[in-house]
Amino acid sequence: MQVSTHSDGPAAGIVLAGGRSSRMGESKATLEWHGSTLLRRTAGLLARAVDGAVVVVRAPGQPLPALPAGVEVVDDPVEGLGPMQGIASGLAAVADRAQVAFVCSTDLPFLHPAYVRRVLAALDSDVDVVLPHAHGHRQPLAAAYRTALAPVVAGLVADGQLKLAMLFDHCRVHRTDDAGLLADPRLGALDPTLDSVLNVNEPDDYRAARARPEPEITVQRYGALASNGRRGPETVRAATLGAAAAAVGLALDRHVVAALNGDQITRDAEMPLVVGDMVAFLSADAGG
Amino acid sequence: MTAGGYFGRALVVDVDGDSATGTPLELDDRVLRSYLGGVGLGTWLLHRLAPPGVDPLAPEAPLAFVFSPLVGTPLTTSAKFAVLAKSPLTGMITDALASSQFAISGKLTGHDAIVVRGRADALSVLMIDAFGVRLEAAPELAGMAAAEAESAVRERFGRGWRTAAVGPAAERGVRYATISHDGRHAGRGGLGAVLGAKNIKAVMVKAGTRVDVADQRAVLAAAKDLRERSFGPATAKYRELGTLANLLAFNAVSTLPTRNFTAATFAEAPRLAAEELHEMRGVARNSCASCSIGCEHIYSRKGGGSQRMEYENVFALGPLCGVSDPDDVFAASARCDELGIDTISAGGTIAWAMECVERGLIDAPWLRFGDGPALLRALDLIGSRSEGLGALLAMGSRAAAAVVGQGSIDFAPQVKGLELPGYEPRSLQSMALGLAVNARGADHNRSGAYEADLSGDLDRLAGGSAHVAAAIGTEDRAAVMDSMILCKFLRGVFTEPFDEWAALLRPVTGWDVTADELRTVARRIVLAKRVFNLREGATTDDDTLPRRMLDTPLELGSGRTATLTEERLRSMVEGYYTGRGLDVDGRPDPADLADLRL
Repeated sequence: MQVSTHSDGPAAGIVLAGGRSSRMGESKATLEWHGSTLLRRTAGLLARAVDGAVVVVRAPGQPLPALPAGVEVVDDPVEGLGPMQGIASGLAAVADRAQVAFVCSTDLPFLHPAYVRRVLAALDSDVDVVLPHAHGHRQPLAAAYRTALAPVVAGLVADGQLKLAMLFDHCRVHRTDDAGLLADPRLGALDPTLDSVLNVNEPDDYRAARARPEPEITVQRYGALASNGRRGPETVRAATLGAAAAAVGLALDRHVVAALNGDQITRDAEMPLVVGDMVAFLSADAGG
Repeated sequence: MTAGGYFGRALVVDVDGDSATGTPLELDDRVLRSYLGGVGLGTWLLHRLAPPGVDPLAPEAPLAFVFSPLVGTPLTTSAKFAVLAKSPLTGMITDALASSQFAISGKLTGHDAIVVRGRADALSVLMIDAFGVRLEAAPELAGMAAAEAESAVRERFGRGWRTAAVGPAAERGVRYATISHDGRHAGRGGLGAVLGAKNIKAVMVKAGTRVDVADQRAVLAAAKDLRERSFGPATAKYRELGTLANLLAFNAVSTLPTRNFTAATFAEAPRLAAEELHEMRGVARNSCASCSIGCEHIYSRKGGGSQRMEYENVFALGPLCGVSDPDDVFAASARCDELGIDTISAGGTIAWAMECVERGLIDAPWLRFGDGPALLRALDLIGSRSEGLGALLAMGSRAAAAVVGQGSIDFAPQVKGLELPGYEPRSLQSMALGLAVNARGADHNRSGAYEADLSGDLDRLAGGSAHVAAAIGTEDRAAVMDSMILCKFLRGVFTEPFDEWAALLRPVTGWDVTADELRTVARRIVLAKRVFNLREGATTDDDTLPRRMLDTPLELGSGRTATLTEERLRSMVEGYYTGRGLDVDGRPDPADLADLRL
């Protein structure tokens, strides 16, 4: 689902997937996540949160798991130059279509669209980067950037200046802390502990994150799907749309579709869900 | 030799004064195979028989009842017929489908179509059987509801006749009057007004012959298979709750037109929901003749009696007018049936008038959104076509807006003069295109592009080339289903529709018809309808939506806004023209006209 996120027109989403995942010991992009993959989830969450293009930046030729429909893939020109190179590639890939972009790493399984919108909303005309300081740390890979920075970032990479701090010395940065982020009532309600920025770097991080309960969502069945007294909202835990359907005894097929938060309609069983979502299951044979 | 399922002739009935004469019109195999029947064949007949520029309510304007090769076979949902005329509401071609024994008896008079022209001196009934045609004066039927008139003529002329009748609104020239039979309606576009203008209260038909199919055994096998498939999940919605199941679902996805399309969600929708009413008031489920689906759901009315309710009449007389009391909506729906008027056009025109009142453009302070008794009062004024507001609203929203002026056309909920059905175009942008370009006007039956919007296969809020392809695809499928004729509630049971429809037509007709041939037939029918409208003066300016849809973003329940700009719609319309092989003005290449066999 896409929501208008910025006054400067469509906002893009960029996921950096090209890291070496050396501490994890295996590609984070392909890590299983409740029947989906970590990258599929992160890209899907960005696609829900922004109204412009969503791009995954990978190392040259890096194998990726299946991605949501419409998500684009671009290759870093050179492998191993870190996130600065990824940001340069991502911003360049969307600069002709969006003035602003949310940039994140692959490993944010609890990223909430409300966080993305909150950060993008802070990127006003006087600012080039919105850099959250959440949980006491800078979060440059859960931050918003002007796409006009693409040549600046590329120039720094060309000069061998690969630390993100160098970029922030060359542009106007708006820093916001936990309190500033949570001043947004929607984010405060849906992600009060800012789990959006929790990343998983090591196997123990992953196991702990994976062991968390799936997000609590509200499901409602309509029409013929609501027969046998199954009317009214139900609360279930599900990380994907397919899991939510299964939780109420349905399967997404040519006769059943879902509307997420009353908005975009989909049959994508791997569509990621987050806390606070409302899913309406409808007969696909609507009309008449 | 005539193909199976056909008689190879239409009957053209000319009514003049106190008599009527019938003249056969031969329909050769080439025409039948090119247009099939129903809406397709009716379009061809209108091209042949409607004088260019004819006033739809003039005696010489033809009204065609058109059957199909499947009528009379055991194929489920095939007891249907089409009614076509030049619409008094739009000035363009209009067609409506209906289901009843009238289809079977009408065809078994020995004709693939019955076309009525002329005008009787006094209110009359037209009677057609295998032996001929006669006109009987019937002044006693004046002012009767269609159902009442059906009972009266059965009493007078005996059983065995099947009747299509009009209500009092048609007699009085309400431009969206319907033709009714067995409680069903050929509802859209004012076909009842056309019949009423001929001073004909009812057309009665009696079966007197039989029609052969090419391969009876194969037809029976196909019928058995189709019947079994009709009980599957694709029709569950219709069986279990009927079309009214749309209401709450559409509300959940912000596509339930509310208060004259100023909103797409209605806070009180649950009061009108099928899920609620089914438990509290559901009393029966009925089927049309020869149908195994049984979509018709009957609800009890407060104070006694019952009423069939469908999504479209509840949407139009409920949320569109801001009315949430189910008893008011039931009563309004029943009043439309009694008067014989199209619920969608009635609701749309009244909702427009309510907004005009709100804006101070019409002086009728009692006519307020949400006021059920006011809705009933307005319907009565329309039905009686009483001077002032009744006569104004009896014209439909487009013509009424032309009288009221002051920009009120911008929010008249119509396309080509036909009021919009219950699908919000801004949040269903394939449907937006379908509504804009369809020959009949704002129509959900000849263009079911909402299917694509609700399928999850494309972004319903960002119309583009995929939406164009979807709109063309649904229009083509509708053209074939409406011509062969099968109920569109069956559409979900077909996975390869053109192949499967060809497989149904082959044993009936004996033709070696293929899926590709049916695709060509579909395009031909769509083009023939457009060419009829072009002949009657339509231009590309008619292929649009009300300004409100293009100028005013719509707030969705999710908080997002849905925007459909003029530029986006125009881009889709141009894509549609290209996809249909039309030029930038929506006109066909002259070389394509020969294929229409006009």
